[in-house]
Amino acid sequence: MSDQQLKHKSHRREKRTGKVPSEASHGARGKETTGRTKDSVSTASYMDDLGHHDDNARLVVTIDNTYQLGPYKCFPVPAVTDILKDVLTSYLQEEKYESEWSQKMTKTICEVIRARVKDLMIPRYKIVVLVHIGQLTGQSMQISSRCLWDASNDTFASYSFKNSYLFGVATVFAVYFE
Amino acid sequence: MDDYQTEEEESAFVVEESVEATIGRNTYQHNRVNQWSTSVVEQCLGQLGKLGKPFKYIVNCIIMQKNGAGLQTASACFWDNSTDGSCAVRWENKSMYCIVNVFGLAI
Repeated sequence: MSDQQLKHKSHRREKRTGKVPSEASHGARGKETTGRTKDSVSTASYMDDLGHHDDNARLVVTIDNTYQLGPYKCFPVPAVTDILKDVLTSYLQEEKYESEWSQKMTKTICEVIRARVKDLMIPRYKIVVLVHIGQLTGQSMQISSRCLWDASNDTFASYSFKNSYLFGVATVFAVYFE
Repeated sequence: MDDYQTEEEESAFVVEESVEATIGRNTYQHNRVNQWSTSVVEQCLGQLGKLGKPFKYIVNCIIMQKNGAGLQTASACFWDNSTDGSCAVRWENKSMYCIVNVFGLAI
């Protein structure tokens, strides 16, 4: 695709094998920017709140002080790793990679993991779940994360699964809400 | 009240700059990809920190060789929709894809 063609497409998301679908509860508005060099291309998409554009959704809710300095209950990393292992294994065990199926499966797995982690009822923790499912064709890849947070309260759990056709990686980040 | 839309755009811009600066003109090399992804992520995080906003950030980067293989990524978050947000930047050149997700959680 040439850079010239890209400049005219203002709201369409590019489709290629490296797709990044957003989670069901938030859509994405695509904004295309062309790369500066001739051979690189980049697109960015942001979270949209369910198509509602009223200001009420964006008003910050003020919460009274609880004078609590830290979490009373720590985030249980081993328990969450077990959840990730359980979910990934049960959903991906004997499956082959297919484009449409894996699109739905990543979203489903994300939602299942989020629901199960919420069931653990760890108060005052915000959760971010990331799931990647990819095809195994001998390609090489690297997935890495860095976080700017409070290391004494915030943590993460991760698990990766592989069978002969595909791999799945799930990561849960837990961030304490002060 | 912050105009959150610009913050997401701002972080997307920061990320694109970091990716372009780190791996802009390179071809995929297995022995260097670890260093590249670390560098992309740390640069992004550094620039985001310099913005001085009251957010905790999570930056996730995937660099994948172009091989015709498929990859799907999804995320689900349990947070406060009015103050927290995310953005995803997809970058590619002739030999590789780079996908960077940034999550910003308000303190």
